[in-house]
Amino acid sequence: MRATNMKKIILKARLLAPVVAVALLLTTSAFAAAPGITGPTFNLVASPAYITQPDGQMVYSWGYGCNSAPTGFAPAAITNGACGNMQIPGPTLVVTEGQAVSVTLTNNLPTAAGNTSILFPGFNVTTTGGVAGLLTQEAAPGGSVTYNFTAGSPGTRSYYSGTQGDLQVEMGLYGAIIVLPSNVPTACTSGLATKNLQAEGAHGESDFRLAAAAYDHAKSCYDREYLFQFSEMDPNIHHQADLQVQATGTCTAGSAGCSLNVPTEPYHPAYFMINGRSMPDDMDPNYAAEYPHQPYNGNPHMHPGEQVLLRIIGQGRWQHPFHEHGNHVRILGRDGNLILSQSDANSLAGPLLFTTTTTPGVAMDGIFYWTGKGLNWDAYGHRPGSSDPLAVLSCTPDLNGYNTGDPTAINYYEWCQDHDKPMQASPFGDVSGGGPVTLPDANLFTNGAWYGGSPYLGPDATTRATGCMPTGAVQSNAPNCGATGSTPPSGTIANSPSGEAGFAFMWHSHNEREITTNNIFPGGMMMMMLVDSREFVIDESN
Amino acid sequence: MRKSYQVWLPILLVCFATVAASAQSFRVQCPTSTKTHPNAANNNSEPTFVGPTYTGTNGYPSAPANVNGAIKCQQISGGDGYATMGDGTQTYMFSFGPLSGLVDIANGLPGTEFPNVFNTVYTGGTANPLQPGDPATAIGNGGTFTYNGAIGLVPDVDGNGGNGTATAALTGHVDPRQIMDVGVMNGNIPAPMMAIDEDDEFFLTLTNVGMIMRPDLFEQHTVHFHGYPNASAFYDGVPDASVAINIGASFTYYYLAPDAGTYFWHCHITPPEHLQMGMVGQMYVRPRQDRVAVGGNLYSALQQQELDLRMKCDSSTDILCSNPLPAVNTAATRAANGNYAYNDGDGSTYYDVEYPIQIHGFDPNFHFVGMTFNPEGFSDMKDKYFLLNGRSYPDTVTPGPMQTVSADGTNHFSQPLPSIISIPAGKKALLRISDLDVTEYQTLASLGIPMKVIAINAKLLRDQAGNNLYYTTNSITLAGGESLDVILDATGYTAGQVFYLYTPNLDHLSNDAENFGGLMTEVRIN
Repeated sequence: MRATNMKKIILKARLLAPVVAVALLLTTSAFAAAPGITGPTFNLVASPAYITQPDGQMVYSWGYGCNSAPTGFAPAAITNGACGNMQIPGPTLVVTEGQAVSVTLTNNLPTAAGNTSILFPGFNVTTTGGVAGLLTQEAAPGGSVTYNFTAGSPGTRSYYSGTQGDLQVEMGLYGAIIVLPSNVPTACTSGLATKNLQAEGAHGESDFRLAAAAYDHAKSCYDREYLFQFSEMDPNIHHQADLQVQATGTCTAGSAGCSLNVPTEPYHPAYFMINGRSMPDDMDPNYAAEYPHQPYNGNPHMHPGEQVLLRIIGQGRWQHPFHEHGNHVRILGRDGNLILSQSDANSLAGPLLFTTTTTPGVAMDGIFYWTGKGLNWDAYGHRPGSSDPLAVLSCTPDLNGYNTGDPTAINYYEWCQDHDKPMQASPFGDVSGGGPVTLPDANLFTNGAWYGGSPYLGPDATTRATGCMPTGAVQSNAPNCGATGSTPPSGTIANSPSGEAGFAFMWHSHNEREITTNNIFPGGMMMMMLVDSREFVIDESN
Repeated sequence: MRKSYQVWLPILLVCFATVAASAQSFRVQCPTSTKTHPNAANNNSEPTFVGPTYTGTNGYPSAPANVNGAIKCQQISGGDGYATMGDGTQTYMFSFGPLSGLVDIANGLPGTEFPNVFNTVYTGGTANPLQPGDPATAIGNGGTFTYNGAIGLVPDVDGNGGNGTATAALTGHVDPRQIMDVGVMNGNIPAPMMAIDEDDEFFLTLTNVGMIMRPDLFEQHTVHFHGYPNASAFYDGVPDASVAINIGASFTYYYLAPDAGTYFWHCHITPPEHLQMGMVGQMYVRPRQDRVAVGGNLYSALQQQELDLRMKCDSSTDILCSNPLPAVNTAATRAANGNYAYNDGDGSTYYDVEYPIQIHGFDPNFHFVGMTFNPEGFSDMKDKYFLLNGRSYPDTVTPGPMQTVSADGTNHFSQPLPSIISIPAGKKALLRISDLDVTEYQTLASLGIPMKVIAINAKLLRDQAGNNLYYTTNSITLAGGESLDVILDATGYTAGQVFYLYTPNLDHLSNDAENFGGLMTEVRIN
């Protein structure tokens, strides 16, 4: 998807009407995956920096970063990875089940901030060095501490500060640790899983997964993955911390007055973030230069039929009802604990949720897919009799009803029961007629920025569906093209009818006031998930 | 609120010269037959389920083995209105109102109709025209109101070549005067209830009548069917991802019914504003299992469903389906009375009476600002009124529709749904609970009669091996965007007992400054 980098006019008071003049600039492609750093020895540091928000504010924050160059970056297909000394969320630690993990944390926070630390819930942690704290050993100002544990089981878990958590987590000291399975089940490297990979390769797409399965379990196979961490910020708290840090300057640790006294109640957040960024910044690339301290984005894409792994973590202090439009999510496990049937360990028992509530301290893994099964009309706009070869593709159902015979097919994973079935009664263009619905005159609509341009998937189907073909075009005209209304206005910015024309689904917090940035709508905890036709290459290498 | 999109319009082709009658802005759609339901005579009732529509890998264009389901239609207005809060305050809201099934809505039922009801013309004529505030106006004047069809539907005289009404067909052509008279400020909270059956085709027409109290807003509206599996982006109602209908026009959403369950719906234009202001409603899909003949074996019926790949739940290949065959075949048969919440195959989701309950909250400051053109503070939003089906206690237990006088001086049925849960002693009630609060989580607890949760987010609680995972609890907690199904079992209870459903978020047991009321209602055994 063409990324958008919206410039907004900075508004004076937060109570001004959210008038937003939007000028969208096109930058390079921006996709997500779950990038991170590899170990199993990590050398982290906690540092201060300012992070940016779409309203132009720079917010004083603290975050974990790399004290020295990491062992490596993952996945290998993302080649521009970077790890500075401060980022929010902290660097995603990618390890493999069974590895002995060692995380050394150095405290470069302002002296007045005191000690800091990291908790690794879900692991049995022993420590070396550091000073005693309430929940774990801590790093004194300028000092270090080392945490050691075995990555005992696969899954997604959070890590965050165990020192003065109400302030330090609010300031941004949190991150994720992903443990990959040591035994990927053969089901995930054969059969349909292999075909899905071949389908990607047929269109020049690389494999951006960290692994082929989320757990050592045959039902945890996936084709694409994303990590989403939810958090919020109260700018007053950050501002107070900033002022007090400046006032205490380079005080000596332990001396009188060398501490911070930042109230964290009443709590009144105005920024709501996914992976440390508010919409639309979350749609810009991973490791984008304009966000040096917010390297991770939230911009999911997928093709029909792909099993997409969602690693979802609640950071911060509020719950958020994270709602995925488009389908349900099968929760595989919670905090790295696979949820299985009591009577059959091969069967999953996690709930199916269309709203995956995030809770501070809880991480979950889930699988999502979209196929258009049961729509009762051909989402690809196929029309027998058209002279466009893409309009007359065949659909050969496998035992589950999907077109999976040929991984190179543009309509790979089409739901064949609806193949060729018309939706529109009298279409504008080269799609089938005789369906149940009459679309109104296109001038009665307002089109959204992510509207592909037609009800159909892909640039070819959209071009066919929206009017009479230009002279000389290979596509033929439907018999009544042009007789049933004007062409819909096209040229939508972020999902162009001639380029991507995917199906856009909003993934967002359903506490709707959280899809605002400092009282400006749209913003906050919002992403657009795009289901793309195979005609469009999803490239997550940024 | 105001937001300007600068949409560049490289218009490929403009064919203004050939704009036909279908360019009419207001219109309804309710075909009497379609490719999926080809026999018009059968589309006004639900056929018994005897077998799957398609078997094996067959699908369109093969002829179906059985035609299941029917056609259902509904029209709603998108605009504004007023509602009465628990402390008596008349509060402004953005809202959807009914433009079909007005009698059913006033009686607390869904406004979804079969084509033979939807496609009827109002016959009051000039003696008894449709009035603003109907049906409240007609009933308030001592009369009756019996019309359940689509408001505005009239014979298409223009399309009939000027040959008069006698031979003019019903093409969906409408009289805008009727729509504006009835639709303006007829907003309901919750919005008009929708209910369809699996295998139905549903045509929902959204008619944007404008927001009279906000002439500065040229706001579109949409309908987002929340939770639909494999939803279509075009019909998903997210304006950024698709299209939104302008003022003075109608858009018909089309869906083949999704899997049975308790969903809900709402506007998706500037959600922090439109949802807080009240554009939220209820929607559920009844299971195929309800249509099994009385006495039919439920397990076999579910096996029959599994023969159609669209209805099948094969846990080995589909990670997102939740009703595989039950691990235990209880040999249950379709009961003579009552219904089921899901295709359980073992009768475990049986209920005798059902009550949709929607949780919501209003911030009175935000609603005042929403009426008076002032800037809105989203991060300051704080609900002070806590609503079950649009009302706060004690209004939740006032039977019949509630009326509110709108700015036009007319009474409208603003809140048609009480939340009285009446359960005959020894019977079971299904509570279809949804939450569309915009700011915080809410908990609903049951004092005296336990809740059995059977489904969450419109999916049966059953693992992939077929084991039911229902659990019993005394409370459920939901945020906006979540739903679940609860069975209340009155076995062993006696007539006359009254229990309370209330919120242990004790500050929500209030109506703004009144420290009594809020999110509470009564369960009455009778």
